[in-house]
Amino acid sequence: MIEKAYPRLGERVFWETLPNGLAVCVVPRPGFSKKLCYFTTDYGAIHTQFSLDGENVIAPAGIAHYLEHKMFDMPGGEISGCFAQLGADVNAFTSYDMTAYYFTCTERFDEALGLLLDFVSTPYFTEESVQKEQGIIGQEIEMNADSPDTAVFENLMGCMYQNHPISVPILGTRDSIAKITPEILHKCHRAFYAPNNMFLCVVGDVDPEAVCAIAREHLPAEKTEKAPRVDTWAEDTKIEKHLVEANMEVAMPIFQLGFKCPDPGKGERAVRTEFVADLASEALFGESSDLYQRLYEEGIIDSSFGGGFETVSGMGMLTVSGDSDYPEKVKEALLAEAEKLCREGISEERLLRMKRSAMGRRIRALDSFNSLIFRITAYYFTEFDYFEFPAIYEKITPRELTDFLRTAVREENCALSVIYPVKDE
Amino acid sequence: MEEMTLGAGVQLRCFRDDRFKQGCLSIQFVRPMNKEEAAKNALLPAVLLRGTEKSPDIGSITARLDDLYGASVGPLVRRAGDWQTSGLFCGFIDDKYALDGDEVFAPMVEFLREILFCPRLEKGIFPESVVESEKKNLIATIESRMNDKRTLAFDKLIVNMCKADSFGIPRLGHKEDVAAITAQSLYAHYENLLKTARVELFYVGSQEPGVVGQKLKALFADTPRQVAALPEQTPFGEDPGGSHQEKMEVSQGKLAMGFVTPITLRHPKFAAMQLLNGIFGGGMTGKLFAKIREEMSLCYDIGSSYYSSKGILVVSAGIDFGARDVVEKQVEMQLEAICNGEISASELESARQMLLSSLESVHDTPGNIEGYYAVQGLTGMLFSREEYKQAILRCTASDISEVAKTLQKHTVFFLKGVQE
Repeated sequence: MIEKAYPRLGERVFWETLPNGLAVCVVPRPGFSKKLCYFTTDYGAIHTQFSLDGENVIAPAGIAHYLEHKMFDMPGGEISGCFAQLGADVNAFTSYDMTAYYFTCTERFDEALGLLLDFVSTPYFTEESVQKEQGIIGQEIEMNADSPDTAVFENLMGCMYQNHPISVPILGTRDSIAKITPEILHKCHRAFYAPNNMFLCVVGDVDPEAVCAIAREHLPAEKTEKAPRVDTWAEDTKIEKHLVEANMEVAMPIFQLGFKCPDPGKGERAVRTEFVADLASEALFGESSDLYQRLYEEGIIDSSFGGGFETVSGMGMLTVSGDSDYPEKVKEALLAEAEKLCREGISEERLLRMKRSAMGRRIRALDSFNSLIFRITAYYFTEFDYFEFPAIYEKITPRELTDFLRTAVREENCALSVIYPVKDE
Repeated sequence: MEEMTLGAGVQLRCFRDDRFKQGCLSIQFVRPMNKEEAAKNALLPAVLLRGTEKSPDIGSITARLDDLYGASVGPLVRRAGDWQTSGLFCGFIDDKYALDGDEVFAPMVEFLREILFCPRLEKGIFPESVVESEKKNLIATIESRMNDKRTLAFDKLIVNMCKADSFGIPRLGHKEDVAAITAQSLYAHYENLLKTARVELFYVGSQEPGVVGQKLKALFADTPRQVAALPEQTPFGEDPGGSHQEKMEVSQGKLAMGFVTPITLRHPKFAAMQLLNGIFGGGMTGKLFAKIREEMSLCYDIGSSYYSSKGILVVSAGIDFGARDVVEKQVEMQLEAICNGEISASELESARQMLLSSLESVHDTPGNIEGYYAVQGLTGMLFSREEYKQAILRCTASDISEVAKTLQKHTVFFLKGVQE
């Protein structure tokens, strides 16, 4: 394996790409009991259109998440019991653009890793089990339907995106998941769960070479080509519908504002765009900003207020959310303040302070196994080595921040989603 | 871990560890959990964080933290059995990751001292505008617990279950008690805490404990203190149980079932009760998950939580409105199965391994270390970490059946839809 040192961060990291195309990353943590392992495919809820063996496939919405659930079935039964026997805790999640399977353990890491690689690469679906999952995921959909945070976000995406599938819920709908069959699950597995489309990452006190050896032993040796898929969608930054409102059982109105930005793409430039956007947001409405202080003192926002730049493969946006009785005032204040910042500029001194703070917070977050492994994985699929983040901050100038605000924080790019309390009759 | 007494009723525990890139420091004023002061204890840290003499507003406080490499100071309000703590939690980068030999720990302690002892005052008390705005925020936080319906069902269960027990008092107090606070009454409470509350300081990081002790000793050096005694920690008392339901505009029903047991973390059979919780409703290998989700497809999430300082076990699930009776009955049947000794070797081993693994992981982050020792210390955990581990290893299936028999169903709450 290749060992890379990052002295500023006090990190040594091991990288390797196996002949089957699987990329492996190990971050040693000597002296720690916990070991955390992510086995992730570059495939999420948005990837419903692809071609396999020359056939164009359009899969039902919610399929990536459904597949994630069904992967836990093995010919011998449900797999999590086997992990529990090893003292390991296994789980998974599906996001818009990736599906991660992971476990944590303190002992018997090698066995648990073998088990993880085996079950994620073994599709086993029966008519009966696929049918039965509809009840469970149906309940998950109902649970989400009662979550105001999910609703405020999904409503906002519906407003902002006409073509990008971020406007479709990750879980799909009761109707869309009713169309899922073992055959289509097999197709998705074959298209996206080959080692060449996946990433294996481990954080903990483990032997990096042993991780590679286990991966070689448990996964197919040959490299298969990636299945061609739709992963860009035509979107301009203009928004047609600027406001969406709904009522739910909430204590006070909750809102989310979205400013639609161009797709930042991949690689170092995309990451720089993201860091610039986050620093610009900090300058605009972070806790040290005039705007935050003024709105907080006027009682327009409270400590639930916050936001930042968010990306999903093929899109990028700035979002701001919180609880407020005056969401429209928040929007107006943001637009006015952005204009003022662009006019007056951001001082070098202020930028330095913000960079120091952002860097410090990122260094502190390296202590968290969960946050670290998630970031390494997500940035890997963005084609960026996360440990290189200090160098990105060094290059950013005040001008980039104001340039970002000038193009992003505009009325025509903006939509507001609000969930109001249910009216008493 | 080193323990030191820094003054009357001021205890410091230091966990020296240089594996981390950050350190943490918490301070907790320990008070009895009661209706009279719960809201004040919850409000005080938020008001202190609004400004000091030197850094009088949120903007200047944040700028100070930014200069300390993105350090954080947040309110820390905990329930610790029959006690409540009010205080602050600081997280900061380890000095060795600061640039050009900068120090972070020393200025952090100085900033904490300022926040605690030199708050911004007007006419000798907290500014009224600040107190009013933080009251509004705290009330909003309390009210917004209802946004998550599972939390709502849990809260309603506990309120109905613990009418006399202190566990029934919400961690952040009741909103009407928040509303009744004035700048004057809060300031008087603050002065009282400084002079009479037991104080627990906890540090995790690479600093030498002697140095930490010396720096923190200065905090209370100028405050004459006479420490008030705290009530004894008690198991769940004698409250009447029952069955309750409410209607709301929701898509999914939420069931919360409360069980009680005399076994708390101060009881010799504590380890068996923790294992029981794992076998019964601990995650994907528990009986509830296996039966009610995997076999019957009646829910997405179901599980149990054991509140070990009180001896309360709560089962919660999100289910179809019509499935209440069948789920409730299944939960009781699964518990009965455990009472009858129906515990497979693999169920026991899974629960045991999970518990041991989470105990091992306690030492893996500064926050976990602080959380584990600070709370266990206050609530009177009978075992040291090593003794607890041994007790988990010794438990047999029959020990678990024995403790299962002590669980009594006490109260049930169900949230259903308006149309039902």
